[in-house]
Amino acid sequence: MSHSQKRSKHINLHKMRKAFSLKPLAIGVAIVFLSACGEDGDASKIYVSVDDCQKENPDAVSQCQAAFESAIEEHNRTAPRFNSQNDCEYEFGSDRCQYVQSQSGSFFMPFMAGFIVSRLLQPSPYYSQPLYTSFSPYSPFRSRWVTSNGYVFDGDIRRRSYYAPSSVYKPKPAVNRTINRGGFGSTVRAKSSWGSSGKSSGWGG
Amino acid sequence: MYGQPYWDESAYYQFTLKQIEQDIEDPTAELHQMCLHVVNKVIHDDSLMRRFQIPEQHWDYVAESWRQQAPSLYSRLDLVYDGKHPAKLLENNADTPTSLYETGFWQWLWLEQQVNSGKLSRGADQFNSLQEKLINRFAELKHQHGFHQIHFSCCDDSEEDRGTVQYLQDCAATAGVSTPFLFIEEIGLGDTGYFTDLADEVITHCFKLYPWEFMLRETFSDALPGAEVQWLEPAWKAVLSNKALLPLLWQEFPNHPNLLPAFFEDDNSRPADGKWIKKPLFSREGANITLIEGGRDAISLSDGPYGEEGFIYQQYHALPKYAENYVLIGSWLVDDEPAGISVREDTSLITQDLSRYLPHIIL
Repeated sequence: MSHSQKRSKHINLHKMRKAFSLKPLAIGVAIVFLSACGEDGDASKIYVSVDDCQKENPDAVSQCQAAFESAIEEHNRTAPRFNSQNDCEYEFGSDRCQYVQSQSGSFFMPFMAGFIVSRLLQPSPYYSQPLYTSFSPYSPFRSRWVTSNGYVFDGDIRRRSYYAPSSVYKPKPAVNRTINRGGFGSTVRAKSSWGSSGKSSGWGG
Repeated sequence: MYGQPYWDESAYYQFTLKQIEQDIEDPTAELHQMCLHVVNKVIHDDSLMRRFQIPEQHWDYVAESWRQQAPSLYSRLDLVYDGKHPAKLLENNADTPTSLYETGFWQWLWLEQQVNSGKLSRGADQFNSLQEKLINRFAELKHQHGFHQIHFSCCDDSEEDRGTVQYLQDCAATAGVSTPFLFIEEIGLGDTGYFTDLADEVITHCFKLYPWEFMLRETFSDALPGAEVQWLEPAWKAVLSNKALLPLLWQEFPNHPNLLPAFFEDDNSRPADGKWIKKPLFSREGANITLIEGGRDAISLSDGPYGEEGFIYQQYHALPKYAENYVLIGSWLVDDEPAGISVREDTSLITQDLSRYLPHIIL
């Protein structure tokens, strides 16, 4: 095989550095842009309140209420969590985060900004998930809808109708609390005592 | 670093394009495919899984990661190459290879500066598309395999490992992946069976610079199937990075020009004469290596904490020596593609983690 050049063409010198500091524990929300149309998925609508939903679906008042409640429940379980108000607001904008105290500790998380629903009027079980949006200039999902799974819908938040892939409705794995830490890493402590140099060289090869 | 030079800008190695492409790049791709062939064989054979010292309770977990074709990120083949004869595979660092940053970034920068200052010809190139390929691979992992967020992790006792992981975080972030970090020791187990970070968020995708042979023997190993983490590297690398791979390669591809004869400890077909290197199945950084001559342990070349898990024998093949230095080539792959080389040299026969790292050029 023959290539004209054997090495990377461009390296961004500013982004790559050896010196680093540990970043805050903030869990960023990853992004994927869903294409606007022509994609397999459930026809879905986004609502910003129960009222919003009920106005558009006068025949489905109770379904709207149930979809909202199910989204709130999912929001409490799976919303992105931050150790500090600062980290949360950096991602979602100022005054867009709430302080939460639970049995597993205290943290900050964004307010639910809306919910996405599919099959509201069908007899089959409908799907509902909480949605967030950001007012922060530093966030990749500023003025867009994003799920707790990290899916960002393309288009502005004013757009309320999408074909959402089934992964949007897949429940995000969550835990209520951590029962135990330190279950990985014990072999290193055992083997690190070896050696006369007293250095710790890491476990790479 | 530790009082000895590691990165050395005083010298460099020079290759021809033909040497790079025919003697290193193509054999690297081929050796990798041969290794994957062996992994497939081992996964489907319980007696081999036992030989590889994969703990029996985790056979299904390891095999399942192979059956599902869990995606991989990178590996490094260590080759002996003197510029004239076929390169020989010494071992496959497929699980936790390091010195990535020196290869992908510093070596590249060195050439850029040498050329710009007129010390090297504008025509000088380098076999080093590592960083570009890593970033592309992270983008592929994100868009095709759902790696939107990857937790990055290593032990908290090594600055060098933390640097390697930070470099990979930077590459992943460039590809648009979100890259939180926590130390291996900080990983938690949640009440619903998922692994958690320090904010109790579920870890769904994780890069760990920590060997599978350790993980499979530690307390949290029983939680691995239920935790449903997509690991980088995936669990099948426990087979690929194992030294037991070497005798199996020799069985499957006898007399292949890029292989050295290798045998299991109890294999009587190993010729009694000649020089052999005895290596533990799990050794890394050249630890616990013994040179055997005339059937007896001749020289213990290095100490270390490994060996309980058994040994393999590989025919001794002298590293080429330039001035006072023995030279070893690290040949990188990103997924299945050869991506560049690093050159390390050492004044002793066994290249350990204190070896000097030298840049190279193609001219």
